[in-house]
Amino acid sequence: MILANYIVSFILIALGLVVLCTKKNLIKVVLGLGIMDYGVNLLIVSAGFNEGGTAPIYSLSDLLNGVSPTFFVDPVPQALTLTSIVIGACVDAMALAIVIMIKKRYGTIDADELRRLRG
Amino acid sequence: MFVFKYLFYALVFPGALFTIAAGLLLSGLDRKVIARMQRRIGPPIMQPVYDFFKLMGKENIIPAAANRAAYRLAPALSFVSLAFVMVFIPVFGFSAFSGNADLIVILYLITIPGVALIIGGSSTGSPYGAIGISREMVTMMAYELPFVLVLLAVAKKAGGSTLVFSLKEICDYQAANGCFLFKWSMIPAAVAMLLVIPAEVGTQPFDVAEAETEICEGPLCEYSGPPLAVFKLSTCMKMFVMTGLFTALFLGGIRTGNAVLDAVLFVLICCVVTVICITTVHAVTARLRIQHLFKFYWTYVAITALASLVLVWFGL
Amino acid sequence: MIQHFPVLAVMILFLGAFLIEIIGRNDTVRNLIAFVAVTGSLILLAALIGPVMLEGQIISYWMGGWAPVANYAIGIGYEVDALGLLFALLGITAYWLSCVYSFGYMKGREHLSHYYTLFLMLAGASIGFFLTGDLFNMFIMMEIVTFSAVALTASNTEKLTAIEGAFKYLINCSIGSAMSLTGIALIYLECHTLNLAQLSAMLPGSLSMTAVMAFALLLSGFCVESAMIPFHASFVDAHTVAPSSVSMILSGMVLKIGVYGLIRCCYIVFRLIDTAQLQILLTALGSLTMFIGVTMALAQHDFKRLLAFHSVSQLGYIIAAAGLCTSLGLTGSLFHAINHTLFKGLLFLCAGAVIHSTGTSDLDSLGGLSKRMPVTCCCFLIGAFSISGLPPFNGFVSKWMIYQAAYTKALETGNFYYVIVTVTALVVSVMTLASFVKVLHSVFFGQLRSVHSQAEEAPKIMLVPMVIMSVLCVFTGVFYKGFSKLFIGPAVYSAFGNTSYIDSMMGKGYSELFGVRALSPDALSFSCWNPYIWLVLFIIVFAAAALVLFVNTDSFGRTLEKGMSYPSVYGTGDMNRDFLGNTHVEGDPSEKYAVFFSGEKAEYSHAGGSDLFWGFKYNWHKYYSLLQGLHSGSVNDYCCYAVMCIAAITVFMFIFIR
Repeated sequence: MILANYIVSFILIALGLVVLCTKKNLIKVVLGLGIMDYGVNLLIVSAGFNEGGTAPIYSLSDLLNGVSPTFFVDPVPQALTLTSIVIGACVDAMALAIVIMIKKRYGTIDADELRRLRG
Repeated sequence: MFVFKYLFYALVFPGALFTIAAGLLLSGLDRKVIARMQRRIGPPIMQPVYDFFKLMGKENIIPAAANRAAYRLAPALSFVSLAFVMVFIPVFGFSAFSGNADLIVILYLITIPGVALIIGGSSTGSPYGAIGISREMVTMMAYELPFVLVLLAVAKKAGGSTLVFSLKEICDYQAANGCFLFKWSMIPAAVAMLLVIPAEVGTQPFDVAEAETEICEGPLCEYSGPPLAVFKLSTCMKMFVMTGLFTALFLGGIRTGNAVLDAVLFVLICCVVTVICITTVHAVTARLRIQHLFKFYWTYVAITALASLVLVWFGL
Repeated sequence: MIQHFPVLAVMILFLGAFLIEIIGRNDTVRNLIAFVAVTGSLILLAALIGPVMLEGQIISYWMGGWAPVANYAIGIGYEVDALGLLFALLGITAYWLSCVYSFGYMKGREHLSHYYTLFLMLAGASIGFFLTGDLFNMFIMMEIVTFSAVALTASNTEKLTAIEGAFKYLINCSIGSAMSLTGIALIYLECHTLNLAQLSAMLPGSLSMTAVMAFALLLSGFCVESAMIPFHASFVDAHTVAPSSVSMILSGMVLKIGVYGLIRCCYIVFRLIDTAQLQILLTALGSLTMFIGVTMALAQHDFKRLLAFHSVSQLGYIIAAAGLCTSLGLTGSLFHAINHTLFKGLLFLCAGAVIHSTGTSDLDSLGGLSKRMPVTCCCFLIGAFSISGLPPFNGFVSKWMIYQAAYTKALETGNFYYVIVTVTALVVSVMTLASFVKVLHSVFFGQLRSVHSQAEEAPKIMLVPMVIMSVLCVFTGVFYKGFSKLFIGPAVYSAFGNTSYIDSMMGKGYSELFGVRALSPDALSFSCWNPYIWLVLFIIVFAAAALVLFVNTDSFGRTLEKGMSYPSVYGTGDMNRDFLGNTHVEGDPSEKYAVFFSGEKAEYSHAGGSDLFWGFKYNWHKYYSLLQGLHSGSVNDYCCYAVMCIAAITVFMFIFIR
């Protein structure tokens, strides 16, 4: 169960890298970036998963009423994933904004045309 | 008191004055010997001295396109740095300054005269100067590789498994264990060093930077009067500094016990080295083209030096 | 009190960023906020020099007071040891200088409040990266740095290609940070903590496969950030097109993030640096980087692009020296990192000054500017000499340390490979000199173009940072002993001896719990030469020699009679008269026939910079055609190199480390 998560996350990362390496359309390149990020996020969130654990949410009254938090899912990776998703979204938005600017200035979003800085 | 001691080192022996005198002597000797090789009588040995004073008395004309400050400061920089390189080179047993990184310091200080020539040549604004400095720089890149390999080979030979970058220790090692020139594993390094000297000094066949017939002396094209005199003088000094470095690296073990005798012997050996690697090579060859020069140094000379380094590396 | 300083130093920058966005419409207010924020941060960090560098304290701070529970770190900690503080100080100095420079350089451009907001965020994030004690926090800071650096690069409206450079930079950095984040996730799987101190207690010793994988990915991530070959191409593009004040930061400071991460990761967290194979990997990467960087720089036609390739080359020195794992090597590495920020920042600022007054950075269309911009020319010369390692400038000292460390390593291990590293480092140094000769000739010397005949020296506010950096270049070179004892020695010790780093964060005795052993550094020796006497003498004699050439230099033997003028048109006389009888003002090359060469009349005849090293390139044309083909400019190609290299590093780790 959890192994599938790991495998899929690495497949997603690899897919993202493949997209980055092969796709000439800049929008697709940005999408590749996104896919890679999702792979990493899946990996992090899986890292905190405990088979059969409860959600790490306890209200104060629960604790006072004697419900003891014994076995729950590690909350730290979930926090990390949230942060990472936010950052990933920022980067994607930034990249897409730049792609729009590229379209305005270069008139194309083909990576092969985007080669004025080289050599 | 020690101020005067160091001033003496820098200005008289083994610094400026000694270097000037020995350099002018070597240059005169070079001209005399090459004349005899070509069956001419040649100028008197003192000719470089006369040339120097003649040029000092000439008018200094600065081109309008030149950067005047750089134009005038470059010769001074060249002269002073050469005088100060000599302070780091031990005259057999005597070494004025000694640190534990002499080889690296010298390696860099010796490039400063070249840099000064480049700044001077570039500052004249002349296109001949531009071509000249480009060739000078390529020459510097060319001989740097074999030069570095020679220095590393010497350091390895003198140090074994500990690091010795100090010329004084290298000389002491030679005094105890025999000069490196007579160790067969070091002979390729010595040959490579002998080939580095003419390129560093800029004599035929490696005088591409100052090729008179092609680019009108390159960097020196627009120079005249006292700055030119100083540049010419620093070429002579460079001759002495480089041959002196060779002597220290490969014959540094000689000890007579008397400082004056040491100095005389040092200059004599430098004379011999000059005749071998500058005069003879000059007399029998024609000028190389710059790309051939680069290739020559990065292949043949570098491989010679590398051979020595590898031999030394395996303890031979 | 003092333990709040690191956090405050970071927060003040972020606070400044938000304030500028809110109330920074007015020029004066905006500049004031930026200046106050940067200066405040500088003061706060400088106040830490005493306790951290001199007394050897390690300052730890838990965000919100979340101290470790049951020996497990649960909060985010800030931890300042000498290594982190060294980089932070270096960073804030660079930001301070760049900020002052920006006041002059960016003046009159649009959307300046966004510029300063991003600038302060960049500053805050990179300082935070150096001071934080949490791996995930490091990742976040890295991302903020990337984000603001990309935006700043794209903000250069004067260059059409700015947007392209920004896009490549973003894609490349994202690959790097995604790899780091994967590594971080794997580390969390392994240790269930992300606190650096706790990790450096738990991880070293017996590494599982997961940890090796995590190490490989983190290492690749930091290699991307520090622009190693083959990750360098998009960095070079970005540094070329960013505004010069930002290029200086990107090149001088942001690349150091990778260096710091690498040192922190290899020396402290995983402590794998004493593995021979890792040393070989890092030195090989470094040597390759320095060589390819400098040879590519020799072929460039653009001032800033050339400088950017030099950054890559110098980063090669830094990484190679750090990979040697000797105390002298690490000292050289850190010293070179500092020097690189100083001289490369200086050179980029000079490039900015040239662009500011001429509007171009194309080497082929500049020339002779030393007459119009003497201060910039002097600063450039100092920077160029420093980066080429001429004594007595600072580059000499750090390069000397690197050579000495590399050759010592070669002699001690008996491995001929390290001789190759040494020789590469030495030869690259002279090639560096060569490419700066090219810049010197084609920008500052040679003949002035008529279009630039009215070019003016940069405004004073831009010259101030340049002069400060020049002075620092000379200062750190001459007084290198005191400087390295004060700043670099503690940093080296903190990199090698990590038990106190762990203990001060996690509580006393924590490192013993895991049996952490510190790497034993060999004794530090800083002395390569004694420059003081030598320098004083040099200056005296140089002054004397210069005096001889200056005083009455126009005629040594006789004095010129007043009113006497030269018969020719050379530029020395008061009034020049050419052979056609036209008079003209001295030194004005736009005048026809004003310049004479070897007795022949000439018009504008400047030998351009691009083909200055033809004799060198001729022999290397196959190498150059290969490399220039590889720097194809296509973002896909760059990603492809990155992926291949990351894969290679990972495979290497699996084969050799465990």
